[in-house]
Amino acid sequence: MIPFDYRRAGDAETAVAAVAGNPGAAFLGGGTNLVDHMKLGVAEPDLLVDVTRLPFDSVDPLPGGGLRIGAGVRNSDLAADERVRTRYPVLAEALLSGASGQLRNLATTGGNLLQRTRCGYFQDVTTPCNKRRPGEGCSAREGYHRYHAILGASPHCVAVHPSDLAVALTALDAVVRVRGPRDGHGERAIPAAELHRLPGEHPEWDTVLGHGDLITAVDLPPLPMAARSRYRKVRDRASYAFALVSVAAAVELTGDVIGDVRIALGGVAHKPWRATLAEAALRGRPPDRAEFRAAAEAELADAQPLRDNRFKVPMARNTIVSVLAGLTGEEPR
Amino acid sequence: MTRLVGRGVPRVDGRAKVTGAARYAADNEIAGVLHGFLVMSTIARGEVREIDPSAALAHPGVVAVYTHADMRTLTVPGFPYNRTFIPMQDTRVHYSGQPVAYVVAETLEQAQEAANLVRVRYRAEPPVARLADAPDEPFLPEGFRADQPTETVRGDAATALEQAEVRLERTYGSPMQHHNPIEPHTTTAVWDGETVTLHESTQGVVFTRNVVSAVFGLPPADVRVVSQYLGGGFGAKGPVYPHTLLTVEVARLARRPVKLVLSRAQMYTSNGHRSEFRNHVRLGATRRGTLTAVIGTSTAQVTRTDERTFNTNDSAVNLYACPNIHVRQLGVRLDLPTSGYMRSPETTAHFGLETAMDELSYEIGIDPVQLRMRNLRPTDPQNGRHTASRHLPACYRMAANAFGWKWRNPLPGTTRDGDEYIGWGMATETHSHNAIRSTVALTIGLDGRATLRTATQDIGTGTYTVLTQVAADELGMPLGQVTTLLGDTAFPDASLSAGSSTVPSVVGPVADAAQGARDRVIALATTDPRSPLHGVPAEDVDTEGGRLFARGDRHRSDSYRDVLTRHGRPVETRSHVENTRGHSFGAVFVEVRVQPRLGTVRVSRVAAAYDLGRVLNHRTARGQVIGGVTWGIGFALMEHTAVDPNTARVVNPNLSTYLVPVSADTPSVDVAFVDQPDSGSNALGARGFGETPGTGVPAAIGNAIYHATGRRIRDVPFTQDKLL
Amino acid sequence: MRLNVTVNGRPRQADDVWPGESLLYVLRERLGLPGSKNACEQGECGSCTVYLDDVPVCSCLVAAGQAEGRQVRTVEGLAEGDRLDPVQQSFVDAGAVQCGFCTPGLVVAAHDLLRRTPRPSDEEIREALAGNLCRCTGYEKILDAVRTAADAS
Repeated sequence: MIPFDYRRAGDAETAVAAVAGNPGAAFLGGGTNLVDHMKLGVAEPDLLVDVTRLPFDSVDPLPGGGLRIGAGVRNSDLAADERVRTRYPVLAEALLSGASGQLRNLATTGGNLLQRTRCGYFQDVTTPCNKRRPGEGCSAREGYHRYHAILGASPHCVAVHPSDLAVALTALDAVVRVRGPRDGHGERAIPAAELHRLPGEHPEWDTVLGHGDLITAVDLPPLPMAARSRYRKVRDRASYAFALVSVAAAVELTGDVIGDVRIALGGVAHKPWRATLAEAALRGRPPDRAEFRAAAEAELADAQPLRDNRFKVPMARNTIVSVLAGLTGEEPR
Repeated sequence: MTRLVGRGVPRVDGRAKVTGAARYAADNEIAGVLHGFLVMSTIARGEVREIDPSAALAHPGVVAVYTHADMRTLTVPGFPYNRTFIPMQDTRVHYSGQPVAYVVAETLEQAQEAANLVRVRYRAEPPVARLADAPDEPFLPEGFRADQPTETVRGDAATALEQAEVRLERTYGSPMQHHNPIEPHTTTAVWDGETVTLHESTQGVVFTRNVVSAVFGLPPADVRVVSQYLGGGFGAKGPVYPHTLLTVEVARLARRPVKLVLSRAQMYTSNGHRSEFRNHVRLGATRRGTLTAVIGTSTAQVTRTDERTFNTNDSAVNLYACPNIHVRQLGVRLDLPTSGYMRSPETTAHFGLETAMDELSYEIGIDPVQLRMRNLRPTDPQNGRHTASRHLPACYRMAANAFGWKWRNPLPGTTRDGDEYIGWGMATETHSHNAIRSTVALTIGLDGRATLRTATQDIGTGTYTVLTQVAADELGMPLGQVTTLLGDTAFPDASLSAGSSTVPSVVGPVADAAQGARDRVIALATTDPRSPLHGVPAEDVDTEGGRLFARGDRHRSDSYRDVLTRHGRPVETRSHVENTRGHSFGAVFVEVRVQPRLGTVRVSRVAAAYDLGRVLNHRTARGQVIGGVTWGIGFALMEHTAVDPNTARVVNPNLSTYLVPVSADTPSVDVAFVDQPDSGSNALGARGFGETPGTGVPAAIGNAIYHATGRRIRDVPFTQDKLL
Repeated sequence: MRLNVTVNGRPRQADDVWPGESLLYVLRERLGLPGSKNACEQGECGSCTVYLDDVPVCSCLVAAGQAEGRQVRTVEGLAEGDRLDPVQQSFVDAGAVQCGFCTPGLVVAAHDLLRRTPRPSDEEIREALAGNLCRCTGYEKILDAVRTAADAS
């Protein structure tokens, strides 16, 4: 780990200014990913601005029925919040399916969203990686890519985003509140589904945030249908592993048909993948397996799996079907 | 008399371990110690062209950066060092992750960062990383040890196969795996003049001492190796590996103690691994299921510099009574580190045999347990004893009953629970064990307390506890009156903690030394006019609870403490008793639940029964079973080291993407023991056992998956992509 | 920097600490508390688990600077004098200890579980301890230990 300076921010404005004014500076949240990446040499900030003692550590009701989650709220506290557990079960399930208790106790809401890919080549500074050093080439495309993207990848990068929380927030139409150096004293709001980006020509950018932008909160809309929501993570062991595929979904039945539905996929793309095609295919349709399967196939029609991760296509399809079936009472869980 | 042996005595080191008081090799506090960090090659094959340490040397706290240019010529030692070269002796690179420079600094952070700053330029050649990619045909290598031949022939297997009523031919595979003991390998080398002390995380202090002594041309007495507590090893700390030797040399060059702790990533190229493995199995049998031919041709990885393989096809040769056997263990040269022994190395080939036996049972149409029963051997071919597997039928019976095997419908794909398919499978468990010449010293002090010293070590299996039990029993003392000291070459030479050899090697000498010491103390008492036992014939004296009694007149008694105090000098005995090698056996039955739509497999139930001779401690023996079964689950369902096919570099050198089972993956295990002493073993009738449990689990899980789904998967791990 | 941190109830100071050192390193190498183990340095195995302000964390991922002014409790701080904490005692009694290297982290994690959930279900225990890798025991005896400790309290 390279030597660096450490500063504890007293307020958001100072924190933003400190990072914005130094191209080598970074915000430090729980540190579960950044400190690890500093040890690996993947991240080499010369200044860490600790934002964990900023006053963003509560979950508060919003006018109109939503919730505002402070960016500093720990993953374990958020998962235990009664309002989250009853009104947005998909969110609590996503959080609890991520990492381990010890890590959830450290990890913050903002930091979780900004964690970086676990692609083995990205984490190994001796191997080429366009995300780490643009232009070097992608080692994963022809290398080991069992965990990599099947949707939205580019010739430059096939990494996936590892956050479970982000997948649930994407399904819930959450909004990420950001304070940046460009905003003066204000904040701007970014839909969760638009926070992360596809790699395209610039895999080095995970999100649309600029240097010095600080996530201050995440707003959950009221979304009554979220009370019937679920997160399902398929992984290589029973717990404490990254997703091969994950599905966050919420369903609202209107009479005999699907009135509204939200679906997001994890483990399949450089960003949480909002399954808008599947959603469109399902609205107004009866909640049965054939419909679920057709919708999933519509979403995955453009999938471009790699040599060794073709299995993710049927796995994603079946996981979508299984989650929707479970949510609509098609089958016991 | 109340015996400790055979009871589930709690660990004597338990308290030290739950309070954090136990001192492992990296927990020492040594004045003036420097922290070392290795710079590893980033290419797998080629040459170091240039090493520029200037940026590293300019880093605060850095004391030195050593390269091959600084090292004297070291002698490449023999067994158990399993490479044919020592790194940093020249510029040649044989694998990615080979040490090319060694940084020492005042703190660990400084050494780590400086290691990143060392600039190394290479001339790279394209490497070969996978068996399937090797340009040359597999060949029959010489092997590593004379007692583990790479080819075994019995009868005429080819003809027998040709003439067999039923024939089966299949290929099974397993990937590279890593031991990943939770404690990383660590060495602290402290020179004092021309003698050196190593605080080492090793499964063999004596082996390490002998290797270091050979490499550095030092008399063995001038090398001391200490390993009081060991945070697991599983073979990763059995042989001596290069980083230990480099640390000894660097500490000499730096003229200060040097402490090296391998990072988790470095553990993936520094201490061996289970080789990628292919096993081509051909079985011939009669229609009734009697094996007439077993032909096993396995292929494992060797390197361009050595021909060493470590996964013997032992069970194909020794488990079943087939008259015609031809087993060959071929090698393929790859640009990877030399592989090595990894817990239960025989599992690797046994997975193929026991899956093939299940496939054969379906071909023939008989129960897989019956098929095995029909082919049992009457004797242990390794030592000719008639006792070896005679309790295996009892193991099948006990485990099958506990499991409820008789309720099994043999038809695959017939049992469902919701959207889960349920399957049952079984396999034989077996592994060889070693016996290594071991000596122990036992002292009874003036306070009447006994101290046992022997240079074996406790890898975590419970050696401290079991040896204390044995000594206390033979002496007739309570457990707390005996102290066992291990893991120090200052003590008499004893067994490596590997090859399931500790119990068979060390228990005999401990019992003998304790009996000798007891007899000496009895003699002191019966010949001492001041003792209440004066004049009692020695053979009429019993010992119990730290006291000596006249048999038949318990009021005439003395105590160890009083006898020794009057005697005024400690009583000391030494003993070595040699044992023979052999096998332990068992049967394992598993239930799996498969979700075919997602491909997930969960092991929901396990029942197993074992014959390991006499069970010295039920608690530690059960611990070995549950741990071994969990290793089998990892082997079957998840463990694999991903090696980049183009660079021969490990892609998942960590514990978040090299997956080992977590608590949520493991079912409860129903364990039973036959618990009959083996009269052929002088370790109180106990055999080596640690590596037997789990050997059959990967096959049993695969067999259960077949039973659940009708799909036969012949390559582990049985990941979800293979079951969708 | 000088680091001020309360460890096992005692205010402690360490001088010349580099902010990037991990809390684990500070505990082990500067404060003489090697009970917490270094095994992966990446938050992947749980062997370094300590309480930080009353919640268990991986101390290998906590930069020393982040620990300034906070409360740390390690495995060395669980027993009261000679009397083991019930969780420690049950680990010994149940045979939940083998090589012992993962034990300090597991004992802290189990201790925390029972504070939050005095009567955990098996599923809760398995999930709560999933961040603590053990390569020896196969976990079953660890589960037994947690059940026993739950019954004892």
